[in-house]
Amino acid sequence: MQSRNLKSRIILLGLAVIMLLSAMACSKTEDTPHKDEKITIKDQLGREVTLDKEAERIVSGYYISTSMLIALGLKDRVVGVEANANTRPIYAMAAAEFLDLPNVGTAKDFNLEGTLALEPDLVIVPVRLKDTISTLEDMGIKVIAIDPEDMDLLKESLQIIGKATGTEDRAEKLISYYDEKTQKIKEIAKNNEESKKRIYFGGNSDFLSTATKRMYQNYMIETAGGENVADIDDNYWAIISYEQLISYNPDMIVIAPGAKYSKEDILEDYKLSGIDAIKNKQVYAMPSNIELWDSPIPSSILGTMWLNSILHEDEYSYEEFLDDLVEFYQEFYEISIEKEKISK
Amino acid sequence: MKAKKELYQYTTAAILLIIAFVLSISVGRYHISLGDIIRIVTGQRVDDLTKMVFFHLRLSRTIMVVLAGMGLSISGSIYQNIFKNPLATPDIMGVSSGANLGAAIAIIFLSGSIYAISISAFLGGLIAVFTAIALTNMSRDRGISTIVLAGIIIGSITQGAIMLLKFFADPERQLAAIEFWSMGTFAGVTSDKLISILPFFALGLIILFLLRWQINLLSLSDEEGRSLGLNVKRVRLLVIIAATLVVASIVSITGLISFVGLIAAHMGRIIRKKNDFSTAIFSGILGAIILIIADCLARSISSSEIPISILTTFIGAPYLAYLMSRYR
Repeated sequence: MQSRNLKSRIILLGLAVIMLLSAMACSKTEDTPHKDEKITIKDQLGREVTLDKEAERIVSGYYISTSMLIALGLKDRVVGVEANANTRPIYAMAAAEFLDLPNVGTAKDFNLEGTLALEPDLVIVPVRLKDTISTLEDMGIKVIAIDPEDMDLLKESLQIIGKATGTEDRAEKLISYYDEKTQKIKEIAKNNEESKKRIYFGGNSDFLSTATKRMYQNYMIETAGGENVADIDDNYWAIISYEQLISYNPDMIVIAPGAKYSKEDILEDYKLSGIDAIKNKQVYAMPSNIELWDSPIPSSILGTMWLNSILHEDEYSYEEFLDDLVEFYQEFYEISIEKEKISK
Repeated sequence: MKAKKELYQYTTAAILLIIAFVLSISVGRYHISLGDIIRIVTGQRVDDLTKMVFFHLRLSRTIMVVLAGMGLSISGSIYQNIFKNPLATPDIMGVSSGANLGAAIAIIFLSGSIYAISISAFLGGLIAVFTAIALTNMSRDRGISTIVLAGIIIGSITQGAIMLLKFFADPERQLAAIEFWSMGTFAGVTSDKLISILPFFALGLIILFLLRWQINLLSLSDEEGRSLGLNVKRVRLLVIIAATLVVASIVSITGLISFVGLIAAHMGRIIRKKNDFSTAIFSGILGAIILIIADCLARSISSSEIPISILTTFIGAPYLAYLMSRYR
């Protein structure tokens, strides 16, 4: 009789414990959304988008968002990417399957039907595809628009995609990497405030085109501790003349990654021989064999770090930069880079 | 009396051209004082950099502007003459759109270097015109309307091909380069480039000059020309080829320069009230003056270069409107 009483008490206690545990478990799922719970996001057009669950079939219509998806470890969830994927070496290196995915066109010509056929539960497009967004939404497709035009917007778009896919932690990790490195870069820049170098940033089609004040390249130069000689208030490459370049007389010339001309073209052009940067052989081409770091892609911090190292070799050596680079791609893109392939 | 008036017109135009030329060699982003220019011209010592900028950049650019203004306007005037159409320019044979296609091909498929673009644009212009000529020869009637039609066909095909290339171009890097090319600029002109096109330009211009009597006769009807012992078709063909050489060599290094050829030719005709070869030369001087003014503005309004076609259009069109309202 007594033993039965004890037995029922144990059962009751056990039940109570289970109930308590499950109650705790319940309250925990309310804090972080479970896979099957609704997620509401505000995208970079200021639209509210509600997803029924974490996105599983993602279409990216923009190389920057595609690169973000790799960096967030989401390459397996991507079902369609933008056109001309074969022109981005990083895809072949980190997500070779992207090269075989159906392409959904470009920002100029977005392939609506092709996108619908992929039955995506999330489509990521640049903000300039405004019209396409409403068409896709009318057909019941969830779309978020991103606008990574500078560092802050890049961070924000990473957070947005992170939230939509349940990869906030990884997004935060990237962001804190940026913050930490940016702070370090800025400190080095500050130590050398007095000896600021004047940089000419040559555009990719012609060295007589240059980065203007409102471009990302200008942000990179200023953050890395240089001064852009071209004081032109614009947001696109400006065409200048030989005479203008000679009268700028920069201390250093930096060539945009993927440019159609080489360092030698500049060094050997006798018409430029009077410029300090040429006299002192201070001409550098930003590497382009992994990604083009002069646009706000997830790895663009490396462009600023590269520039910082070129400018202040004694405080941040090129060897250190290469170590950072290898580490970055190892951690976020899960690929190993051979240092020898990265030139100045 | 009449000869006096003509002399007066020519002298005025020539003096204006000289003033514009002097203005052009003293305006630029690199500071060269008037004293330095005088010292350079009189052979006194100046520092090497100033000398280099003056000869290889400033002077070369100004000479190129003068050649371009003259070449485009003389060809424009002759075309209006031989096609008996006030809207004719060498463009109707597809030289500009052909050059544009050549440049676009170089930007997208070739290295995209400045030399590749120039050579490809030059060849593109020539190929387009020769194709149009071949097309004309396929027809039984080889009169003006057939030539114009062939030019329109080739022009449309090249435009279509350009659109196709633009469509596939990378918007960030290639599309913008194609667009900029089609607006033209003298920013990249150097002595090397000037010298490289000079033989083709000179050849074209010399042929036109040698044909000056035939060109005057071509403005008559084909029958009249023939009765005066002129091989109308052959002369017309030679004129087209010569003008194409002139225009293609210019645009291959500057990109498209719109409107100057058309506008200067009209100005010349309105002022001189004539339609002969000497009017073409007169138009050439006017075209050079317009282009010098446009280019001085292009390089001095801001520190970035303004595409030349924007300025030629805004300077040329109002002046043409003024002449039209006054003389027509």
